[in-house]
This record gives sequence, C-alpha cells and structure tokens, in this order.
Amino acid sequence: MKSISLFIDKGTWLNRLHPYTKLLYILAAVAVPLIGGNLWLFVAMIVSSLLILASGKIIKNALPLIAFSFTLIIVIFLIQGLFNHSNETAFFSVFGLTFYKEGVMYATGIGLNILNMLLSFGIFVLTTSPQELVDELEKSGFSPKFGYIINSVFQILPQMMSTKDTITDAQRSRGMETEGKLIVRMKAFLPLISPVVMSSLINTRERAIALEVRGFGRKQKKTWLSDREKNKGDRLIGIILVALIVLTIVWRVVLCR
Amino acid sequence: MPVITIENLKYKYPGTDTLVLNDVSLTIEKGEFIGIAGANGAGKSTLSQAVMGLVPQFYKGAYGGKVILSIDGEGEINTKTTPITKLCEYVGLIFQNPFNQLSGAKDTVYGEVAFGLQNLGVEREEMKRRVETVLKQLDIWEYRDRNPFDLSGGQMQRVAIASILVMQPSIIILDEPTSQLDPQGTEEVFRVVDQLSKTGITIIMIEQKIEKLASFCDRIVLMDKGRIVDIDVPDNIFSRDDIEELGVRPPVFTRFCKKYDIKNPDGSYPATLERTMALLVGREIDVTEDDIGEIQNGKKAESVVLESTGPEGEIVFNVSRLSFSYTADVDIFKELSLSLDKRPTAIIGQNGAGKTTLVRLLKGLLKPVSGTILFGGEDIAEKTVAMLAGKVGYVFQNPDDQIFKYNVLDEVMFGPLNIGMSEDEAREQSLKALELMGLKGKEKENPYDLELFERKMVAIASVVAMDTDVIILDEPTIAQDYPGRQMIAGMIHELSKQGKLVIAILHDMDFVADNFERVIVMAHGKILLDGGVKSVFSSENNEILAMARIQKPYSFLLCEEL
Repeated sequence: MKSISLFIDKGTWLNRLHPYTKLLYILAAVAVPLIGGNLWLFVAMIVSSLLILASGKIIKNALPLIAFSFTLIIVIFLIQGLFNHSNETAFFSVFGLTFYKEGVMYATGIGLNILNMLLSFGIFVLTTSPQELVDELEKSGFSPKFGYIINSVFQILPQMMSTKDTITDAQRSRGMETEGKLIVRMKAFLPLISPVVMSSLINTRERAIALEVRGFGRKQKKTWLSDREKNKGDRLIGIILVALIVLTIVWRVVLCR
Repeated sequence: MPVITIENLKYKYPGTDTLVLNDVSLTIEKGEFIGIAGANGAGKSTLSQAVMGLVPQFYKGAYGGKVILSIDGEGEINTKTTPITKLCEYVGLIFQNPFNQLSGAKDTVYGEVAFGLQNLGVEREEMKRRVETVLKQLDIWEYRDRNPFDLSGGQMQRVAIASILVMQPSIIILDEPTSQLDPQGTEEVFRVVDQLSKTGITIIMIEQKIEKLASFCDRIVLMDKGRIVDIDVPDNIFSRDDIEELGVRPPVFTRFCKKYDIKNPDGSYPATLERTMALLVGREIDVTEDDIGEIQNGKKAESVVLESTGPEGEIVFNVSRLSFSYTADVDIFKELSLSLDKRPTAIIGQNGAGKTTLVRLLKGLLKPVSGTILFGGEDIAEKTVAMLAGKVGYVFQNPDDQIFKYNVLDEVMFGPLNIGMSEDEAREQSLKALELMGLKGKEKENPYDLELFERKMVAIASVVAMDTDVIILDEPTIAQDYPGRQMIAGMIHELSKQGKLVIAILHDMDFVADNFERVIVMAHGKILLDGGVKSVFSSENNEILAMARIQKPYSFLLCEEL
C-alpha cells in the first residue's frame, strides 16, 4: 500500500525515542535561538539537527525538505536584501543590483529560522509513526475519536486513492476516454468522482457499524498493548533539552541587566 | 432459558412502507448452530442485525416486539435498549465485505485484532494472550506485523473474524462471511466456526452456500418476505416441496435422493454426503451418466445445448510466452501460453493465483512485460483500452466502482454510447440487457436505491449492452441467491449461443460445473489444469486440485462416492 506518511522505520535510536522527546527537541531547537537572540545559535541548532539526521540515517530523506526551504530562503534574500524598508548600508552589488546589509541580515535571520524549524520538524516526522504519536496522545488524555480521525486518514486515504484507480479502469473498460484534451478530461470527471464519493459513503456506514460492534466509543478507559515508557535516553535527552532552554533564558536575562 | 428469544418482531426501515420483518418469533438455545436461508430480500440480514442491536439502534425505523438475550451471569438483555458498545461483549457480527470491517485505525494485523479489546478495557497480559491465541487459531499469526489493508480478501476476512472472536462473545453472527473467499478459505472459515460452536458459542449464520449450511447447522430458519416459513433440521427444511419457490436450491444430495427416493426413516431426504452414503450402505442403485448430468444442471435439455455450443477451434485469444510482474522482483506470470476459443470458460483457483491479473491483461488494462496476446489475430499491446472497449467487455467485481448515473437505464446506456452506438441502438441494446438480467421495470430507479445484488446485475447489464464479442466476468455470483445465480447462468448461455466468448472468474464450483464447458485451474501464476468440466474435476486430478486448493463440485463428490 502506498503510504502517505513520511515515516521511515530504520530501527535507529531516533525511532526508539519517545515521540514527546522529539517534540521537546523541536521546542528547544526553535526556542533557544529565538530567546538567545543570536544568529550563531541558529547555526548551532541547524548543525545539531543535521548531525541527528545523519546519525538516524535519514539525511537523504530530509533533502527534499532542505531543497524546499532553499527556494523560499532565496526569494526572501532577494526581496529583503533589495527592498527592506530599513536598508541603508550597501553590502555588495551583483549585476548592478545593490544588496543592503540590514536587509541581508534580516533575511539571514528568517532563512536560518525556517531551515532550523524544518529540520527539527523533519527529525520528528521522519522518525515517528503517526500511529504511535496518536496512541501516546490518547494515553495523555486526547479524545479517541479525534485520534481515530488522524489515524484513519493515514490508513483510508491511500485506500481511496487505489479505489480511484479501479474506477478509472472500470470506466475505461466501458469505452470512456480519460486522457487527452481538457474537454475530454472534464467529461471524464463525473464518471470518475461519483463512484469514489458514493462508495465512500456506503463504506463509511459499514465501517461505522464495524467500529461500534467492536466497542469503539464506549465510555470506559481504554487499555493499551504496550507502554511507551520513557527510557534512559529519553530522560537524559529531556534533561539536556530543558537545561538548554533554561540556560538560554538565564543567559538572556543576565545579559540584559 | 434460551440464549436468544425473539418475540413478535416487526420492523420497517425509515422512509419505507414494507415490513422487512413481519411478526418473527424464534428461540435459540445456547450452543446451537443456526443457519438462516432464504432469497435476497427475505429479511435474513435484518433479523441478524436485530440480535446485534443495530436494528433499531443504528438504522432507526419502526420497531415492534422484542429481542431478549439471556447471558450467563448477566441476566436478561434487551437489544433495543442496551447500547451496541455494551452488546458487543455478548454478540459479535461478521459481515460480507472484509475491507469495511477493518477499523482503519491500526497499521498491523496484531493491533487490528487487539482494537476491540482495548475498547473493552481488557488487561494487557490477557489481551496479548487472547490475540496470540486467535491469530494462531485462524492461521494468520505469520501476518501479525503486516498492514491489514495489504492482505488479500480471504486473509482480511480471517482478520475480521479474529477481531470478533478475540472479544469472546457468547453469540456470533456471520452474515455471508465466505462470499468473497476462495473454496479453501471458505472451508477454513467453516471449520473454525464449527469448532467454535462445539465450545458452547451460539452461532447464527446466513449463507448462500447451501451444502455448507446443510452439513454444519443444527437447525435452519427458512425465511421469505420478512416472515419465518419454517424452523427445522436441515434434512426436513430442504425436503420441502416448495423450497425452490422460496428462492433456495436444495443441496445436490437432497436432489439426488429425491430422484432415487432414498429417504430417512422419518420420510425426509438427507441433505449431506455423509447422511446420503449412510443410507446407501447395502443398497444398489443404477445411476446413469445422464442422471448425474440432470442432477447437476437441473435441466437435461440445457446440458445438451451446452455441449454443442460454439464451434471449437476458432481461436479468440492467443497468449504466447506471456510474462508479467507488478514489481520488478516478483513475477506474476512467466512464459505463460494459452489460447481461448469460444467455449464458455471458467478460471478458478485460490485467491492470489493470478486470475484477475490474467483477465486484465486480456482486456488490455495491463500491458505484458514480454510475450504477446493476440486478439482476433491482432496484438492487443498496440491498442488502447478505449479501442478494445467495443470488442471486449469486462464486468468488475464491485458494481460501486462504476455506477454514477441517477437512473438505471442511463447507467446501462453509458458504455454503448461511448463505443459509438446511436442513441436508439444504445437504448434498444440496454433494454434487452436489462431484461436479460431481470431488471425489467427498474429502468427509472436510482441505482443507489437498489440492493447490492441488483446493483451487480446493473453492472453486468451495462457491459452486456455493449454487445462485445468477449465478455469477462469477475466473480459474478457474489451476493446472489439461487434465482440470481440462475439469471446469470441464463445470461451466460444466451451470450454463448450468440457466438460470444464468456470468460468468468469464479469460486463457486457447482456453478462452474453447471454452466461452463472449459475450466482453467490456476495457482501461483501457472495453469495447472485446462479442459472440459468432466476431465478437470475427474478423480485422477484429485492431487492437483488439492494443490490448487480447489474443492470439487458437490455433484462430482457424490458421483465419486457412488
């Protein structure tokens, strides 16, 4: 089945880490540079995220994320470097265009921020199964119905996509053209989309029954197949991350006095 | 105290005027294995859903009378007022479509089966013990880490059964649980269910596979138009003179015994092979080949027509050295060669044998990796699906994958118009096809207001109306009762008579034996057997059939015993 989640199970320490620890890392990665207010802190966090990705053998999978952020960052550089309202000091010129220091610094800040967030978020998304996250959220008191919606999106959406392929085949078998000019494609829209919608509705009713006969929605505390106990690594990393945030705050407060 | 007491139950679905259940009363004792038989629309599913509380709690509608469960240690439970999420501790429901029974919340088979127990709040160690036990019992332990959506229909259905079994209900309802399974899968399900009934679980089973009902059930409830016609042991039920009029075809053994007047001491005819053979000990009967044919086909004349249809030797499809794979590392077919003439041909085999892939290749929906498929002498690799549409028709398994119009006639006319028929011609062909599929008078109805078995007929009609030289049917008999199967059989005979090639993928072996001239047995992408019905199912092929996990038609089993 084609999965729509980005999760890859490489069995590394990152996969074994508790989802909450990884969420805490995102928090730390975003908060420390912002509180610290120093561009070098962004660089430090980005380097650490890259090292973590590398140790989890998923740096290749993170490349699309980085590529995506770079297009964004370049646009920001162009706009801010050329047109930022506080631009005063000329920095350098390329092809007769003058970039200003203020704008470039501002763009660097935003750019590093974006890259930092994307990378730390990437660590989380690439190494955490949605199922596991929802389970942990439910254990912490999240509504099972809301959890079910998230889970089922990951399970049932790919199914609907493959139903669409079957439907396309069924209609092509009845002589319908599905490829070619725009008008042909527009004519094909209804015969393709109606069965998807109608069969989803029919399926939904049956699935609602299936869930109910298995006790879903019962007012009772659920039990779980396993506890995702925080392990030693989780605790150690958690302490380091919290300490990092606290230290930054203290440092900032002391500095401002 | 009976475990289920149904008193004067009446029920109407919301927005309808007909009573689907009309004054039904019934008591079922603990540990009984009850079968429910009857034509489509008799109220079988509705009755079972009333036991589960879905009628009226889920479906609403008008409800009268009562259904009371009496469970050890729990006292009396009214299924109208007890929430379904509570009732599910006592009653489990398994239905036809395996895909829709998966919760959709779990990404492993193991987690899927445990889902219900989590909701019931069962302790962890107990939960693990139970999940392991049922997974092993149903022979799906090896799939425990797989995504349930990646499994085949038969495997998925076993996951669905496991998911209910694990909750240890006292009553299990199975609503045509095997209709989408291959014969071996069906046998496995029945074996498991039989074991369960011996452990004191009460079982209610709705099933069109009548021979199975006859051999497993303690009693059979015969229903017609919302009423219970009769409740009795299988032999008595199937010996009734009006049984066929009620839309139920008696087992082949009953038909045979009726013909030769082989009776139980109480005057009824035996409905199973074992009971038939027991009565035959020490008796000589003179059975001719013709008689067997008659028992198989119902009508002698038809079988004669069958043998002579289609000029043999005129090749329609010529498949040579065909190789195909979906992914680079797994070959589905390797150098497969086959030619198809105009004889009606059934393709049989276990789930996953490559049957659907083969017919999709014939239809041009898939392209061969190597080798050629000639259709009427031309290579179909050079044609698009749309070009082939007017020549080769293909009825998909699930009618809901194609229906999109708001009335039946428009739906059926869609294909004919696409392949260039004029409006009048398309209408004429469509009306003819609808009549052939028993849908005369339903032209103006919305297809979605029809039942699944009728929607299947609409889908078949919509392809028949295209008047193609070849028509391929994927599992046409699913969800059909005896009259429905007869209708499909009639269509196959009619089209063959017109010189068209009919190819069907089927799991219903008795239907194959009754209606096809050529049988192709497939397993693991290879053709194991290919020939006439008699030669393929002859006893010398027993070993190969077992290998392909095919169960012989009951009529052949009977002949062998004789």
